[in-house]
Amino acid sequence: MDVLELARLQFALTAGAHFLFVALTLGLATVVAVLQTRATAGDSEIHRRMTRFWGRLYVINYAMGIVTGLVMEFQIGLSWSGLTHFAGNVLGASLAMETLVAFFVESTFLGLWIFGWGRLNRWLHLTTIWVVTLTAYASAYWILVANGFMQHPVGAAPGPDGLRLTDAGAVLTNPSALQAFWHVLAGGLVTAGFFLAGVSAWHLLRRTPEQEFFGRSLRIGVFVAAPALFASAVTGGRQLQLIEEIQPHKWDAFTGGAGGARIGALLMLTAFAAMFFFSLLNVLLALSRRVVVTARLWHVALIAAIPLPYVAMISGWVFRELGRQPWVVDGLLTTEDAVSDLSAGAIRVSFTAFVSLFAVLIAVNGWLLARHARRGPEPAGRVELEVLV
Amino acid sequence: MTETLAAVLLGFFAAGYFVLGGADIGAGMLLPFLGRDGGERRQVVAAIVPFFLADEVWLVATAGLLIGAFPDAEARLLPGLLPLVVALLAGWIVRDMGLWTRNRAGGRVWPAVCDTAVTLGSWTVAGSWAWLLAGLFTGSTSVARGADVVLLAGLVVALFVLHGLAFARLRLTGRAYERARAVSGGAGDRATFAVTATLAALLPVAAGARLDLTGSAADGATLDLLVPAVYAMLPLLLAGQVLTWWTFRERVTA
Repeated sequence: MDVLELARLQFALTAGAHFLFVALTLGLATVVAVLQTRATAGDSEIHRRMTRFWGRLYVINYAMGIVTGLVMEFQIGLSWSGLTHFAGNVLGASLAMETLVAFFVESTFLGLWIFGWGRLNRWLHLTTIWVVTLTAYASAYWILVANGFMQHPVGAAPGPDGLRLTDAGAVLTNPSALQAFWHVLAGGLVTAGFFLAGVSAWHLLRRTPEQEFFGRSLRIGVFVAAPALFASAVTGGRQLQLIEEIQPHKWDAFTGGAGGARIGALLMLTAFAAMFFFSLLNVLLALSRRVVVTARLWHVALIAAIPLPYVAMISGWVFRELGRQPWVVDGLLTTEDAVSDLSAGAIRVSFTAFVSLFAVLIAVNGWLLARHARRGPEPAGRVELEVLV
Repeated sequence: MTETLAAVLLGFFAAGYFVLGGADIGAGMLLPFLGRDGGERRQVVAAIVPFFLADEVWLVATAGLLIGAFPDAEARLLPGLLPLVVALLAGWIVRDMGLWTRNRAGGRVWPAVCDTAVTLGSWTVAGSWAWLLAGLFTGSTSVARGADVVLLAGLVVALFVLHGLAFARLRLTGRAYERARAVSGGAGDRATFAVTATLAALLPVAAGARLDLTGSAADGATLDLLVPAVYAMLPLLLAGQVLTWWTFRERVTA
């Protein structure tokens, strides 16, 4: 493979891995924040235990999101200096806003949340998880402003040294960014909903002692995923209309091509359809509290369905980004012209280093998630509140 | 004018990283020295973990500002420094995963694996910074070589170690504390930290002064939006930091 192909594959693997972890953390943060609100406002023991159990899984997953995100941020400068040079005035600013206005606050407050159990006043502690959740949304927004610009470059004009920002309002309200933002938020909630339902189903299937705990959690998962799927269908449909208008070459790749973009789109639609019909069934079954704890075949299906949102998220993303090729900024700069002037040796070393590190990390993350998911919640009535790490 | 304000922000965040991130990286380098058995190493890690997220965000912010306010400087610098940046990131990831997951599995093996990851990762991060900064001090923007580079890099690594000791003296008690104190001089804990922190803050400022940032700033229209937005957000950013230091102000006991 040449430098361009390796640089693309490296970025795709980093961004793809990052997106997988972000999908779950975005949705799970929201669920945990709501659970903790109920625990705090209602002084409810079961909600407090649910906050801690699902919160711990959230934190394990979040660590992976951070490290893949770090690599991504630096890779833009390392491998794609042509992009920074050409579009830095727009893309660079939105990435800077993401790090400063969103991530900086998100990460600081996450540290306070994780290590602040039992130290911070409980209302202040509740505030920290809401700050984390809202800044995670802000983070997604700023990243999608950058990505939306690459799909549909508005609000900028070519100058002697690359693009200049001419209309910040147009960049910030770019429909390609806003619709993707709502779509990703909905997708995050779908992922979290299926995760909650699937892990809970495992415990109910195994008849572990926590029937009440996991019965409730399963219902939360089902009733979060169903409306979120509906929202992701609406926002996804609107994106398809938008693509037909503003990215005709992507539309052609979707309707007639035989490349990766079309495969991604079809896989995404298939996974979505499967989740949609399954979710209708889930809502009906979850109406009965008895069925929730006894329907063993359904539990197996719920466990098997945990990967479905990931398949849909990743293949939808493949469609979005492959459909943009050969452009990195649609119609203005090709991917080929954006790659840095690197030696083949340098990019090979960096590719090998990151891909092998990520493989180890994904394995460790999976092992730890499974270990803590299997272990179940802390016993009831435990007064001592340790940190979550 | 806006360019100068942007450069001040860049220097502020970079200095913040070397003062705060530098402290917990230094403590990570000294993990096997400060903690001689599993329990003591657990204590040292417990002294670091409430801070490392709030510390490393300063570097993420610095990189964000570099790409947002000085995109051409980033495009010029990073590809030439690729091997060092890759080593820095790899060390950072390995170290973070050690800190994140040390207490997530029991037994003796997993904590020992994580302690090794924290120590090696911290040395890799400090070494990469030392090499990178030594290059910038000598006016090179690629992987620099030469006796002067080796000497300067050695001094930077020594500063990381000293600063880590000073941080350990603020956070620890018992034997781990005594070990840090025995090798870092007789001055008070806070005074020692003030000195090493000042030196750490000077590192990126001295290196940055040698870079020609003004020629590589983003367009005025971009800076006029970005720079005021960041200044407006600063109080919230700093509030989170202050709250972190206040909440975890107590020393960690064995």
